[in-house]
Amino acid sequence: MIFDEPIFKPGGDRFIEMELGDEMSFELNFLVHSVSGLIRESRTKGIVEIVPELASIMISYDCEAIAYADVVTEMSALFHAVGPLDGLELDSRMFYLPVYYFDPWTRACYEDYCEKIAKKEWGPEILVRSNGLSGLEQLAQVHSGTDYWVAALGFYPGLVSLMPLDPRCRLTAPKYNPPRTWTYKGTIGVGGALCSIYPDQTPGGYQMIARTPVPIWDPAQRLPAFKESLALFRPGDRVRFVPATREEYDYVERKVEAGVYLHNVAEYQRFSIRNYQAWLATIDASDRF
Amino acid sequence: MGHYYRSLVLMLTVIKPGLETSVQDLPGRIGYWEQGFPPSGPMDFWSFQLANLLVGNAPGAAGLECQYNGPTLRFERDAVAAVTGADMTPTLDGEPAPLWQSFAVRAGQVLRLSFARLGARAYLAVSGGIDTPPVLGSRSTFHQAGIGGLAGHALEAGQVLPVAPGEGEAGRRVIPACRPPLSGARSWSIEAVPGPNDDWIDAAGHARFLASDWKLQARSNRTGFRLEGPDWSFAARATDKRPEHGEHPSNILDHGYPVGTVNLCGQTPIILVNDAPSTGGFINPYTVPSAAFWKLAQAKPGDIFRFNSISVEQAQELRRGINRLCTEDSIEPC
Repeated sequence: MIFDEPIFKPGGDRFIEMELGDEMSFELNFLVHSVSGLIRESRTKGIVEIVPELASIMISYDCEAIAYADVVTEMSALFHAVGPLDGLELDSRMFYLPVYYFDPWTRACYEDYCEKIAKKEWGPEILVRSNGLSGLEQLAQVHSGTDYWVAALGFYPGLVSLMPLDPRCRLTAPKYNPPRTWTYKGTIGVGGALCSIYPDQTPGGYQMIARTPVPIWDPAQRLPAFKESLALFRPGDRVRFVPATREEYDYVERKVEAGVYLHNVAEYQRFSIRNYQAWLATIDASDRF
Repeated sequence: MGHYYRSLVLMLTVIKPGLETSVQDLPGRIGYWEQGFPPSGPMDFWSFQLANLLVGNAPGAAGLECQYNGPTLRFERDAVAAVTGADMTPTLDGEPAPLWQSFAVRAGQVLRLSFARLGARAYLAVSGGIDTPPVLGSRSTFHQAGIGGLAGHALEAGQVLPVAPGEGEAGRRVIPACRPPLSGARSWSIEAVPGPNDDWIDAAGHARFLASDWKLQARSNRTGFRLEGPDWSFAARATDKRPEHGEHPSNILDHGYPVGTVNLCGQTPIILVNDAPSTGGFINPYTVPSAAFWKLAQAKPGDIFRFNSISVEQAQELRRGINRLCTEDSIEPC
């Protein structure tokens, strides 16, 4: 559900969690980013930083500049200023990322886990089985058949939580338990109903199904896409995975290594909830590609 | 009275790095939290600011955070330095160097910090401040992502740390009553504010959290402080919830993590500190306020934490009290 009034909860002396609802849905997340946009634009004195997430916003504030009760009052007012959900629009860049499905690296990472931590079923096979798919080919087709919404950033710099926008391409998967101690940089994983891209070699729990050679964060800011920010994505961006062969993967990787890779991004698009919902009404959500 | 020193580009050569000694500054890396960058910065910001004030720096200027076992450094130019926080028995060319007091160092002299005898984290400030290149507005080291500090990581032997020109005066000390009260006792009373997810814990769970001893585990660092203690019990909200929250009662839809929060992973509470992940899928029943961070910073594995529930307003008042002590008024001539 989406709350009529946000719920505010303190996090010690410097933080307030603002909960806008209690579900994982695109509409609720769109509301989160719309409210977050207004919070940023308002430049409310004393608000230091915000972290928009799936259904909530974590706010850090300076109590010497604004009291807890005033944060609540100001943020509630911004929540109501957003207006009805179906009238909302946000700028939304579209990134195209080449991905190599069922690649040898994530397979090796899985085998390393089986050998050293716990024996388990291979991630792509779990996804095929638990989502009623015919095989790996359909898994790649379904996974790459939708735009993904950048619902949140966090946990590790640049790490993204992606929601599929086409309900026909929804996939769910259990997470690794216990988690992996390492994951290849660029791994594409599915956990719960979310998809993620690992920005660097980090621990992880999502089932690994593919790898992209395209960096999504770069502390050295080598490529042009990172001139202004170390992290590629902003909430509200969209991502499309483009299946690539090993040759295409290697080609892009060489360009990245040479420092000449240009990220494939369309910067001119706006996302309208009304248009999205009108389109949803025309499709049969139970149909797979 | 001490002497005034003016240096051009002062260098510190790392002879021994110590254990994860890192460059930190205040307020740390602010403005990039939503991309996943934590604030970093010194954990005991009280001792850190006093070290800077002693040597005539702005209170937030970059200095070194030394953990458990401090570094050995050679000064390549004359300087004024100060060490605060944990007692790592500092020596200058083998002679005892004072704590909580600025002192002159001559070019070629070696400052050595060893094992922490009292407390866990010591802070070294040098007049002018460490002058490594800022990354995203801060010199603080965030080693998991390899940014800030010197080459993105803790100090390594052989590295050379640049120090900005500065003026400092030797022979100034922090008034004892203005220092964090380190006693050497192995048990700590730590303030905690209920929330944000206090309503996921039942009354018995809250009572147990506040009445039990929590032992600080060895697997604790600038990311999180793991605690060992009794099991938690949960309110209906934690068990009767939508499936997208996850299976375990401590699972919740991914949300932002306040710095200082008591993050409950299954049954293990982890206090998330300066280098912690910004978001995740576990509940946060309590949050340790900033005024108690000096205690976290100075606690050692095996120490016992007892939590004391306070309100947001009380937590903010405690912080104001520390802020009042992090000023020139706390400094006096020796």
